[in-house]
Amino acid sequence: MLHRSHIHGVMGEFATPEELIHAAKKVREAGYRHLDAYAPFPVEGLSEALGIKRNLVPVLTLLGGLTGGVGGFFFQYWVAAITYPMNIGGRPLNSWPAFVPVTFELTVLGAALSAVFGMLALNGLPQPHHPVFNVERFSHATTDRFFLCIEARDPKFHLEETARLLHSLHAHHVNEVADD
Amino acid sequence: MVSPKTAQKLGVGHNVAGSGGEHGKIYSDVAEISLANSKVTAAMWILPGQAEGTVVLPLGYGRTRAGYTGSNKGFNAYAVRTSNALWATGASSSAIRKTGDDYPLACTQYHFNMEGRQILATGTLEEYRKNPNFANEHAELPPKELSLYKGEAEFPYNRDKWAMAIDLNQCNGCSACVVACQSENNIPVVGKDQVMRGREMHWIRVDRYYSAQSPTNDPSSYSAALDNPETFFQPVPCQQCENAPCEQVCPVGATAHSAEGLNDMVYNRCVGTRYCSNNCPYKVRRFNFLRFQDWETPQLKLMRNPEVTVRSRGVMEKCTYCVQRINTGRIEAEKQNRPIRDGEIVTACEAVCPTQAIVFGNANDPNSRVAKLRAQQRNYSLLGELNARPRTTYLAAVRNPNPELENS
Amino acid sequence: MSAGQPPLDSPEIRRLTPVLGPGHTYASVTDKISAIVLTRPTSLGWFIGFGIAFSVVGMLTVALAWLIIKGVGIWGISIPIGWGFAIVNFVWWIGIGHAGTLISAILFLLNQKWRTSINRFAEAMTLFAVACAGIFPLIHTGRPWMAYYMFPYPSTMGIWPQFRSPLIWDVFAVSTYGTVSLLFWYVGLIPDLATLRDRAIERPAKIIYGMLSMGWRGSARHWHRYQSSYLLLAGLATPLVLSVHTVVSFDFAVAIVPGWHTTIFPPYFVAGAIYSGFAMVLTIAIPLRKVYGLQDFITMRHLDNMAKVMLATGLIVAYGYFVEFFMSLYSGNKFDLYLVKMRLHGPYAPYYFALIVCNILIPQLLWFYKMRHNVVVLFLMSIVVNIGMWLERFVIIVISLTRDFVPSAWGRYSPTFWDWATFIGTIGLFVMLIFLFVRVLPAISIAEMRELVAETSEEDK
Repeated sequence: MLHRSHIHGVMGEFATPEELIHAAKKVREAGYRHLDAYAPFPVEGLSEALGIKRNLVPVLTLLGGLTGGVGGFFFQYWVAAITYPMNIGGRPLNSWPAFVPVTFELTVLGAALSAVFGMLALNGLPQPHHPVFNVERFSHATTDRFFLCIEARDPKFHLEETARLLHSLHAHHVNEVADD
Repeated sequence: MVSPKTAQKLGVGHNVAGSGGEHGKIYSDVAEISLANSKVTAAMWILPGQAEGTVVLPLGYGRTRAGYTGSNKGFNAYAVRTSNALWATGASSSAIRKTGDDYPLACTQYHFNMEGRQILATGTLEEYRKNPNFANEHAELPPKELSLYKGEAEFPYNRDKWAMAIDLNQCNGCSACVVACQSENNIPVVGKDQVMRGREMHWIRVDRYYSAQSPTNDPSSYSAALDNPETFFQPVPCQQCENAPCEQVCPVGATAHSAEGLNDMVYNRCVGTRYCSNNCPYKVRRFNFLRFQDWETPQLKLMRNPEVTVRSRGVMEKCTYCVQRINTGRIEAEKQNRPIRDGEIVTACEAVCPTQAIVFGNANDPNSRVAKLRAQQRNYSLLGELNARPRTTYLAAVRNPNPELENS
Repeated sequence: MSAGQPPLDSPEIRRLTPVLGPGHTYASVTDKISAIVLTRPTSLGWFIGFGIAFSVVGMLTVALAWLIIKGVGIWGISIPIGWGFAIVNFVWWIGIGHAGTLISAILFLLNQKWRTSINRFAEAMTLFAVACAGIFPLIHTGRPWMAYYMFPYPSTMGIWPQFRSPLIWDVFAVSTYGTVSLLFWYVGLIPDLATLRDRAIERPAKIIYGMLSMGWRGSARHWHRYQSSYLLLAGLATPLVLSVHTVVSFDFAVAIVPGWHTTIFPPYFVAGAIYSGFAMVLTIAIPLRKVYGLQDFITMRHLDNMAKVMLATGLIVAYGYFVEFFMSLYSGNKFDLYLVKMRLHGPYAPYYFALIVCNILIPQLLWFYKMRHNVVVLFLMSIVVNIGMWLERFVIIVISLTRDFVPSAWGRYSPTFWDWATFIGTIGLFVMLIFLFVRVLPAISIAEMRELVAETSEEDK
């Protein structure tokens, strides 16, 4: 029996996404707030059931795109009109129509890099280890099983009661998650 | 060499090769010529304007012991030359027998037809008298003021404005300009094989057009118009366009425009994408496809002009209006604190031209020869409708043939 | 279609040609797809195919080495034909890549379920096609060791690239396209790499997949942001599909060369790219599903839809040819008129007619349901279309360069052995990369297939 200070939380395993969503809603109704669900594919309605709202990825993407675009255009202008102006076939130094393709591409590139690295950073990835991997059955989380983990740091957490709650929600297995 | 009519009678012809083609390799039928009890085998070249019923054999080739450059090139016409017929002899047409082989000849311009485009403007004296501006009316030339760009406001060209005028009346196709340019600018000799692939390196070329209204471009498919065509020659160096199409497409900025109007080719920046050559409408740019220069032979180092860079593999090169001579002239003038005088800077091609067909100078100086030539109505730009604004312009050829000669 | 038959779009027909074979669960799709990588022994056929491709890559290496040693003169290019096979191949490969991104991104935004089982290997095809394409702009330069001049970096001479040139636009467009495609593909792979990590039996495999999957655990909070970034990437990749080949078409449209300087090129090239890309997806999909028994995942519905897209884009390409032809005649521009004459009667006319047959005439067979549902016909058709699209780029590039403004400079182009060696070599490189991909990574997106199982079981309820 692990002491409370040595466990990360209690995790229940479910067989269908509907059971998981139902369980998540009930757990939140019971007043728990520090919880997370694990699924092998993005389950529709799960984020709402868990009360997850905030997502900074679109904002980061927008900022990345603007940086790429504005930066790209002004870089070309700086090169062509300020730092090393050259007479290229009598074309104007500020050849802004010619600068459009590169500006566009850099906008897309900036936005894409921000989206991906922003998502990874906000998710805290790469994160090679997490306590939930200590549960052996958790390897099914990437195949066909759904998990709900109520973390020990939640003020309402109580080992036996929380485990009983999960059992009552038809969890197939309930495991204590060792912290390390 | 034979005329098209004679070639048709003999059954010899040309085949344009798939590689190089009209700018490189032509396969010619080989014939065996028997005169004076001996024979020589030669590739036939069909030349419009050659007298009908004559065959010309050039002497001096076919040597077997003439060093690396001279051995085993061409055929030895001396084999059929006898002391009682040193320069000309008659023979029946059975003396020439097609062997059935063909032989690749290097030819840098096989297509002699202008295809309805005004490349080389020509007219008779009456046409010129009726309309002196005839050379500028073939196509709608774009007006200088019509532009989305600030144009002359951004690049005023109010210093020395280098320009060149080439008088097509004077050019007789001698090609001395080609040789002079090659010597002055360290242009490599690439050899027959590379010329057959279309890679000759001459910065100036002399184009040859026939004025016959021929339905075909190919002298080996005979047409009567090719029996006695008028021949015109046009030297084509880099036109140093003010709105150069080549400059715009270089990804690394290896070609840019100087304040005096020269299209500067920066060899050390060139990475060799060849987009500039593709976009040049005049095709005056030359590319070093392989290392054409000889780095090893010490004697050849003495041959080179030390004032001109020797280009290596992978860079584009072209006529520079002999920029090394321009710079020398400018330095001298600055040392003596005076402007450059007209005629002080002479490009290599201009210097050697026997008829003074090429004139180079400062177009901003109203007293220079080139400014006066540019002011003539005969003066036109090659492909002016493309709005490339070339600094090299041509004076249209005006012919005044003697009517007695015409009718004979 | 006879009168008594229900319309082809009705639920009954949908059930007959489904997007996913019946009876699959989350576990079964995972098992089937991951087995190809993890448990199924590598077949002799794989080794033979890989071996052949690898030796062709050896030929590519020799061809590239000889090119660097001797110079670009080993190819058949000359003045006036400064661009030959190298640029034809570059445009051909980039064009092929566009279908993968269309399937991944555009079909995702349009909510087309049939993209699910094909998008992984289609996007892999894109990456490998871009890799093969990217070789050519580097090596076709006369001095490839200085090709870095085309990238903006602070140089000691204080000089930067010349941004008005379409080749620089190409550098940025293709680099962006390669990067975004790689990111999109990799983001999609992360959950599948986690699956492989958890199911791998050998320790080295576990470690490698573990590192690559970055510790993904399927957390709902992570999925939330993941979905967001995936949607954004799809939205960003969509304009790339349209813009990258447009920028490649600018290489020609911005030049003044007759036959190149035409405004129809951007949409014509993009349609052509999708056309050849879908042809290549079919060329890969048909053997893949046969060899690995994936007919339940890549069903006749998928092949049918891909054939329809090919037909549609083929018609757009045909329209593009017509516009080119018509506008040249209508313009009265003597240079363009001559070019039309050259395409129809000139020395390269046979290639033009072959192109019309391969790209316009033969694909009209796809109007017929029976043709679209015949796997052999589809496979052969896909190869014919790719040949036709290669010929299209050859006709555009070479004919225009052999017959431009000043007739004294006209010439002919003929490829040399090294031109062919380099081209076939890149095909070998592509095939080798596909073989490697199929062996070590899931060829179908497992996580998305599970989503599909969830969705289709929803529909059946």
